[in-house]
Amino acid sequence: MIELVIAKYNYWIYVILMMIGFYAMIVKTNLVKKIIGMNIFQTAIILFYISTAYKMGGATLPIMTDAQAHGHEAVLVDGVINPLPHVLMLTAIVVMVATLGVALAIVIHIYRRYNTLNEDEILKVMK
Amino acid sequence: MTVPIDLVLQIFIIVCAVASIVVKDLLSAAMILGAYSFFMCIMWAQMGAVDVAFTEASVSAGIGTILFVAAVMKTTRRSKD
Amino acid sequence: MKFFGFLITLLTGAVLIYGTLDMPAYGDPDSPASRHVSPRYIEMTEIETATPNMVTSILADYRGYDTMGETTVIFTAGMSCIFLLRKRKS
Repeated sequence: MIELVIAKYNYWIYVILMMIGFYAMIVKTNLVKKIIGMNIFQTAIILFYISTAYKMGGATLPIMTDAQAHGHEAVLVDGVINPLPHVLMLTAIVVMVATLGVALAIVIHIYRRYNTLNEDEILKVMK
Repeated sequence: MTVPIDLVLQIFIIVCAVASIVVKDLLSAAMILGAYSFFMCIMWAQMGAVDVAFTEASVSAGIGTILFVAAVMKTTRRSKD
Repeated sequence: MKFFGFLITLLTGAVLIYGTLDMPAYGDPDSPASRHVSPRYIEMTEIETATPNMVTSILADYRGYDTMGETTVIFTAGMSCIFLLRKRKS
């Protein structure tokens, strides 16, 4: 039981972070709070992907030393952290900021037309 | 007893996330979200993903916070929940 | 509504925590994610691209089309921000 907790508590903490973001997206009525929840949700997913790249037991950063770069020393697969999830998540972070910018632009547009940020008041005016 | 550093960082991250959801003032929420992004950046540097860490520190914690503050300044600071 | 949302959140979290029970342990060097594609990148990046930083060589060399598509996404986001935020003459 204690081995299970030690091996998996990271994943459970990512699930808790994702639940915080999801709760904010569903329940909060302020639009900026919803966007903050979306940001937390996306960061939790990215954190989960990065954690699958981690290797315990002497693995170093995915950058070669001088001897390895000049071919004097072989690169071991177990001695280097998996670089592929890092690359995919670099793309995901930039897309996250792009969606954040578009979402905040839409919020500013909504505020100019309805003069409020509360979702219930906007729905009441729209009816 | 030694506490692993990633557990400490994760507790800080969860506290920052809950605080940015709960606080009523939207400018404070944006600032706490910036602190959350920097804790996330430290977490990724601890996991060995240095490229992702400095991309997060410049793009998400820098530009994201600036975008939030600009949007809150153009709209309103008050929030009911 | 608040209670209903909290219930949905708890349900989703319970399903995800049940899903983590079959995941490989944190930091396992023999997990499927680090055994399938990335050993080829790690071993061949010095021979094929002569770049010491593996993340850079995968990002800009092996998966260059991915980065090119990302540029399209950022361009679309910038254009939509401009069209949403411009002042209309009325």
